[in-house]
Amino acid sequence: MNQAEVTKLMSQLKIALKPRHRNLKTPLGPEGRLDKLRQTVTALIKYERIELFYNRADEARGYTERLVSDALRYGDTHKPMMEMADYWLLEKQLVHKLFKVLCPRFENENGSVTKMFNAPRVYPADPKRAYFKRVVLELKGNPYPTITPDSSYRNKNLIHNVLLDAAMKDFYAEKERQQQLLEQEQTLNSVEESKK
Amino acid sequence: MNRLISEIAVILRQAENIIPSLFGRYPFPPEPLTVLANQHPEVPSKQPFSLKDLIGDGFLFAVPVFRRTLEVRKTRKIGIPYRGGPEGLKTLQKKPYIKVCNACGHYHERDCLCPNCYAKIKDETNEIKEKIIKELKLDPVDKEVVVLYDGEKAQQSPEFWNGKRIVEMEKARPQWFSKNLMQKSTQPNAETKELDISSTIVGKPSNIG
Repeated sequence: MNQAEVTKLMSQLKIALKPRHRNLKTPLGPEGRLDKLRQTVTALIKYERIELFYNRADEARGYTERLVSDALRYGDTHKPMMEMADYWLLEKQLVHKLFKVLCPRFENENGSVTKMFNAPRVYPADPKRAYFKRVVLELKGNPYPTITPDSSYRNKNLIHNVLLDAAMKDFYAEKERQQQLLEQEQTLNSVEESKK
Repeated sequence: MNRLISEIAVILRQAENIIPSLFGRYPFPPEPLTVLANQHPEVPSKQPFSLKDLIGDGFLFAVPVFRRTLEVRKTRKIGIPYRGGPEGLKTLQKKPYIKVCNACGHYHERDCLCPNCYAKIKDETNEIKEKIIKELKLDPVDKEVVVLYDGEKAQQSPEFWNGKRIVEMEKARPQWFSKNLMQKSTQPNAETKELDISSTIVGKPSNIG
């Protein structure tokens, strides 16, 4: 179905990775940490948009990217890949989703498959506690309304911006013409006065 | 000769032990004398100081014992610069990273999402999420979800929706969640002469405050 392609021979991350890991509270040690990350990766694949603390999100993001990238590279007939999917996805119906929904969706994706936004700060924050940053983590191509605001006002070639530019030009041309007329009248008046 | 010297040394050592007791290196008198020394004439003794006389049945709080230095007082009052969290500066600080949202006009931090816009999106997302979860069950997930609002299913033929997992929201599509940016945002209302405010979009910034 999704066999390995020549272009996908290298599994690579399309996000900037920080040189050091993010600390998570894990009383159960390294295994507890992986358990937490598995839960987050499963939730992200399942819900496609989640809001959580930055550390866990940033850490789980890399693993999700790697999982989808590997799935694209190896396809579903690769035994180690299936073991990896079985390990990272706690709900086994999502293994189907990874290969049947996400792989076709991201087949021609050039960038990363996830997006991360800083969630708005909660005001007023508790002054006695340190504030922990929250983020929104999502898969691209989800069915929800887009998070990023409409940035069409920045595009100069859009019709309303072209019209506004033209209107502005007309306005200043008219203003300049009025100014010139005023100056002409003043010079005429001054000449007449000097004649008298 | 040697024997004689050693005997003299022994005698001298014994004498060293005796001398201090004679000249008061150990000033305590022998025991029978101590009894005599304690026999004073009786003096009217003062009442010993006790807190009970002062406070009776009440109680005392702890009080500061040492003076706080000026540095400590100022640090407690103003806080420590360049420290985050509860130890940081307590005075009001300028926040030069506050921006105005281009979509709704609300204030938000430069690197964060606009709280007003995001709250709207979050509510809608959660609603859709709940609908999707209801239909998930334990079946393998093998189709893309298509979210449809009221009256959108009838726009296409039934064959078009074959092979798609459709989640229907039982309400009209929100105006800001546009399916197609090129479609008209206002509906023609030629039949009714009264202006339907709900059907027209008010110019930006609309919902401030």
